[in-house]
Amino acid sequence: MDFVASLGLILPELILSLTGLVLLLVAAWAGDKASSAISVAGCVALGACFFLVARTVCAGASGPDTVAFFGQFRADAFAGFAKLMIYAASGAALVVAPAFFGRTGQMKAEYPVLILFATVGMSLMVSAGDLLTLYIGLEMNSLSAYVLAAFLRNDSRSSEAGLKYFVLGALASGILLFGMSLTYGFTGTTSFEGIRAAVGDGLNGGTLFGLVFVFAGLAFKISAVPFHMWTPDVYEGAPTPVTAFFASAPKVAAVALATRVAIEAFGSQADAWRQVVIFAALASIVVGALGAIGQSNIKRLLAYSSINNVGFILIGLACATPKGVSALLVYLAIYVAMTVGSFVAVLMMRAEDGTPIEGIADLAGLSRTRPALAWCLAMLMFSLAGIPPLFGFWGKFVVFQAAVQANLVALAAIGIAASVIGAFYYIKIVKIMFFDEPADTIRGKSDWAHWALLAISAIVVSPLGYLLTAWLGKLADGAAAALFLLA
Amino acid sequence: MLKVTSESLLWLMLALPFLGSLLSSILPARKRNTAGILAGVVMLLASVVAIGLYSSISEGSVVRSRIPWLPSLGLEIVLRLDGLSWLFAALVLVVGFLVVVYSRYYMSPEDPVPRFFAYLLAFAGSMVGLVLSGNLIQLVFFWELTSLFSFLLIGYWYHNERARSGARMALIVTATGGLCLLAGVMLLGKIAGSYDLDAVFLAADRIRQSELYLPALGLILIGAFTKSAQFPFHFWLPHAMAAPTPVSAYLHSATLVKAGIFLLIRFWPVLAGTEAWFATVTTVGLCTLILGAWVAIFQQDLKGLLAYSTISHLGLITLLLGLNSPLATVAAIFHTLNHATFKASLFMAVGIIDHETGTRDIRKLSGLARYMPITATLAVIAAGAMAGVPLLNGFLSKEMFLAEALDLHRESFAGRTLPFLATLALAFSVLYSVRFIHQSFFGPPPQDLPREPQEAPRWMRMPIEVLVVACLVVGMVPALTVAPLLGAAAYSVLGPNTPSYSLAIWHGFNAPLVLSLLALLLGALGYVLFGKRLNRQDGTPLVGVFKGRRAFETVLSLLIRGARRTMEFVGTRRLQPQLRVLVLAACFAGLLPFLRYGYQGGTKVGTPLDPAFALIWLVGGICAVAAAWTAKYHRFAALILMAGAGLVSCVSFVWLSSPDLALTQLLVETVTTLLLLLGLRWLPARSRDLWPGSRTPWRVRFRRGGDVTLALAAGSGIALLSYAIMTREMPNSISRYFVEHSYPDGGGRNVVNVILVDFRGFDTLGEMTVLAIVALTVFALLRRFRPAPESVRSPEQQRLQDASDDAREGRERGDTLADYLLVPRTIMEWLFPAIIVLAFYLLMRGHDLPGGGFAAGVTMSIALILQYLASGTRRVEDRLRVHPLRWMGSGLLLAVVTGLGAWWFDYPFLTSWFRYVDLPLLGEVPLATALLFDIGVFLLVIGAIALILVAIAHQSIRTTRRRPEPPLAVKSGEEEA
Repeated sequence: MDFVASLGLILPELILSLTGLVLLLVAAWAGDKASSAISVAGCVALGACFFLVARTVCAGASGPDTVAFFGQFRADAFAGFAKLMIYAASGAALVVAPAFFGRTGQMKAEYPVLILFATVGMSLMVSAGDLLTLYIGLEMNSLSAYVLAAFLRNDSRSSEAGLKYFVLGALASGILLFGMSLTYGFTGTTSFEGIRAAVGDGLNGGTLFGLVFVFAGLAFKISAVPFHMWTPDVYEGAPTPVTAFFASAPKVAAVALATRVAIEAFGSQADAWRQVVIFAALASIVVGALGAIGQSNIKRLLAYSSINNVGFILIGLACATPKGVSALLVYLAIYVAMTVGSFVAVLMMRAEDGTPIEGIADLAGLSRTRPALAWCLAMLMFSLAGIPPLFGFWGKFVVFQAAVQANLVALAAIGIAASVIGAFYYIKIVKIMFFDEPADTIRGKSDWAHWALLAISAIVVSPLGYLLTAWLGKLADGAAAALFLLA
Repeated sequence: MLKVTSESLLWLMLALPFLGSLLSSILPARKRNTAGILAGVVMLLASVVAIGLYSSISEGSVVRSRIPWLPSLGLEIVLRLDGLSWLFAALVLVVGFLVVVYSRYYMSPEDPVPRFFAYLLAFAGSMVGLVLSGNLIQLVFFWELTSLFSFLLIGYWYHNERARSGARMALIVTATGGLCLLAGVMLLGKIAGSYDLDAVFLAADRIRQSELYLPALGLILIGAFTKSAQFPFHFWLPHAMAAPTPVSAYLHSATLVKAGIFLLIRFWPVLAGTEAWFATVTTVGLCTLILGAWVAIFQQDLKGLLAYSTISHLGLITLLLGLNSPLATVAAIFHTLNHATFKASLFMAVGIIDHETGTRDIRKLSGLARYMPITATLAVIAAGAMAGVPLLNGFLSKEMFLAEALDLHRESFAGRTLPFLATLALAFSVLYSVRFIHQSFFGPPPQDLPREPQEAPRWMRMPIEVLVVACLVVGMVPALTVAPLLGAAAYSVLGPNTPSYSLAIWHGFNAPLVLSLLALLLGALGYVLFGKRLNRQDGTPLVGVFKGRRAFETVLSLLIRGARRTMEFVGTRRLQPQLRVLVLAACFAGLLPFLRYGYQGGTKVGTPLDPAFALIWLVGGICAVAAAWTAKYHRFAALILMAGAGLVSCVSFVWLSSPDLALTQLLVETVTTLLLLLGLRWLPARSRDLWPGSRTPWRVRFRRGGDVTLALAAGSGIALLSYAIMTREMPNSISRYFVEHSYPDGGGRNVVNVILVDFRGFDTLGEMTVLAIVALTVFALLRRFRPAPESVRSPEQQRLQDASDDAREGRERGDTLADYLLVPRTIMEWLFPAIIVLAFYLLMRGHDLPGGGFAAGVTMSIALILQYLASGTRRVEDRLRVHPLRWMGSGLLLAVVTGLGAWWFDYPFLTSWFRYVDLPLLGEVPLATALLFDIGVFLLVIGAIALILVAIAHQSIRTTRRRPEPPLAVKSGEEEA
């Protein structure tokens, strides 16, 4: 694979990095006045990359033609599928921001640039074919994320969120790095292919150490229990557009990355890590559901809900089968739509003067004061609960089906039983919105961009989403096949 | 041709209610009549379609229509109509039509009626979808849909608190059941290898023998029992009575609760026939039958009475299905039909009573027959059917039930007691039916009613009339009316095993008839004896304490409170515990491989430990620990200790024969310590008294102890792991390549330097850029920095000196300082050229011997720092003309130009060229283009450190100016660098 062909494979990343750099310079000279123009340019770049990647995904690209830089980087359909979600979610984070920050004049030109850099990092993460690429991508995303979390510099909650995220994230990165060095120490290589060859005839204690610590570090990034504790605090403290971003794109990237490491590098030793993943899955489902129950802040609730969802996603990973990975991808796609939609709905919760409102109690009687918003949010909540006919049911179903087919019957059964607890608090929110006396605090006007995004996600989670299933399933199958072809 | 037609009719039947719902939902809230007519027409049309389809299934054939959807997942959308699903679909649609007509007159004009009809139609559509499902997943889908729409229907009057809580309870219970059902059918699909209903039927034997049978059975039964309000999940049904009466009439007679029954019948051929089925289903059915009937007796609310009666009758049907006998199953289907007709009419009658009198309290009602004779007649007949009076439909299915109860294994205990329990339950049923009728319609005229009672409008009675006529006709001439329908339904469930039975009123004077009459007598007698006393009874004796609702709410609040408590206990918003959890989890994760594989060191033997080296490391370790210990309370000491630890690592490098590393480390250590020392001055003062009375609480000591333990555990774990790795053969790393190629390819013997400037020159260029950015960032951040107020004052020593200078004649401020620093200052000033020469020496020899551009740059910076220390900011900057930005810029530029130079000669970027050159004075000197690159590094490092230095040093000038008293003589224009 020569250099030029490699460059061709990383074209989306190149476009994004260069756009980011150019926009950074524009931001430095033109200042915050240019922030909306920069956002638009960022969206255009993301859109261009989206279509570039969409081509490879539709073609189900796999095999040696997709390997760039001597195995450091893979531009296969699996990475492409994840990138599509990442670009879409990042685009959403760009679109929703101006209306949120603009009200108080806090929209800075760095915001879109940071999002772009984070996106480049995520792009690298999902395409990593080597522990080093993995780490660089992860850190590139994380560093941007730390700054984004603390983006409202004058807001103590936001600063605290950024600091907390940084300290804990740095520790988790350390753990990850330690695991990587152990893996390297015991296998003598950092490339996934080499690791696969080295562990082909069984793990030894040292490699298992490496595996465990690598997974621990990744578990932090996907906020799986027991590495989840930062999630509610950071989600609550960070500005809502940033939270929407955190809950969607980086989660996709980290899950895809964990999947790639698990399947591609350690796929032959699935029995060694399955237990850990199953534990994390069930613990995340239960803790996420229980944690959400007592919350009075909707962002914290959604944070726990995302922990809960990660549990279901991990069920797909625990299968370690192409079906399981395909189910995981389908779940992720639906999850991104639901999460972005929910957070956009949160963004639209504003008082008369435009101050953001985050209390669940303020939602009371929303169906009478803001019926459209209430109906969309209700659909999203029912969808998150996995109740038919909403599309969220489909994600849960494919994951459970994959688990049953992989003979993980108990896991599927317990997962379904635990999703009952989850259904409880989603229903509670619907009940508050539809049946309680109106609190009538949410009166602010919403931006058209918010409405548009909310409408899109509401349509996706509505029963109309089922029209997508065949197409989504085909793409996900292709992506999973690409991953397993390498493994 | 006919086939095609019936298939498309199936789709039409399913789509019509949903279309109607959609249309109705967009009607304005006031369009009551339009919505009513729309809903009525839709239901009527769908009913006609359903009835029209009868011919295609009457012969026991099955109509299927499938749309392949996701073949890879085994998913197809299959509509499947057989006798059973036809019966249920027809029931749902016909009763639905009647309910729509009834609702039109029942609902008040203030309610947003179009929304009501939208929900109702969508619910009907979901029910039709449920019974027509030919695919298990599709079935669950519609199942949950019915839960969802029933939630909306029950909570329709949301201003009513009871409606809200009832709706939520119903949704939570039934949706939970639905999820269990999903798990169950997925297991079923796994055993059968397909979700297709026909495939599942074919795999019936395999399913019953599978080891997954029990879990699948349990999960499916939970789904069915929650939906059909079986004990112990029955409690949601009475609370759902807060819904408008038409909703109750629909949901609790023909539809929602019957969905559970439908499921049991549908899966009967697959799941029934085992001991587990018999034991569970019969027990649950019997409990529900008796409990429901018993509680119904004591209800004072008419709808409550009907609700518990519904529970009881559902129990009866479940009991029949549990008996594993084909004949009992036929009876169950028959009773489902009968119950739907009489219960729907009774609910509607109660609705009329409520509507016309304004109350449903059985104690307030009396003698209504004289005000509403027609309604009274209808209600009497329907209640008769409920009680099982001969000539009415209820009687027939009750006879079959009793015959089956008597027929059960006579030898067993259960078999012997069942007939008696059944008779008892039927007697209860008679008792509450009589009570209902006698109290409301007979006796003296009512007093104190909220409204003057009168006959209901004609169209409101019409649905009841239709249903009651059905009760009568079926009861009197079953063979001519219902027999073929029932036969088709039974055949679709039982297939060739369908038993022969006869539907007739008179089977001779046999045991069931005796028991039936006995029940009637007992019930009537019971009312005569206790009727009056029942009115005074509050709550239900015996079982009244066990309130399902209370249990449900206890469970819910336990869940909520438990979840809150748990999260308070394990969750925290504070960073420290979060860090602790993170490290703890990592330690625990690290423990797993230990437990699995144990610990093995490598095979390589380590070098024997030299006591001196051990001592050095001991000192270093103590320094490091002490630095951590004092970090919070004495920053200065911590910094010095840290420098000590750094020094030890320099010595270790020397010891391990890597002088270049040691040199670099030493220089970097010096610079960083000095810069940190300079910065320390501006940090906020530490708080002296953390704890009142300077005694640390035990809680804190305990916590710190825990932290120490954790740190020790993590540290020793890492040490052990490192040992295990380092005693193993090193993997084939790249270092050997560098060692071998450093001289032939890079022309240098200092491998580190060759790597930096040649092999990895591109990386170094990147790092240079980063260093430049860091310096600029530090400068940018510190430019706006304002120290904490308590740090603004000059240090104590300086204040003393200033005071002493002020006090004496002829001395200026700063004289004391200048005096006592004279000797060190002179030394440091004289050192300056010497250090610069050393820096150049290091730079020139770097390619072959320890040194290099980086080390030289750092050395040069130390010279600068020394000057700052010796003479103060102003003096140094008066004399020294180092423009940090220019130095940094030229360094970077030089590096890049060197790299680009390679292109001139058609080599890749940063390829280096080397040659030995004879220089005057210095002799033969190796000269490589890499040296130019190294000079770039050198310039950049000096520039960067100087910039940081300037930024820090200028803090003191700036803050001096801000002091209240006039500062030392300051030349203006100097403070901003």
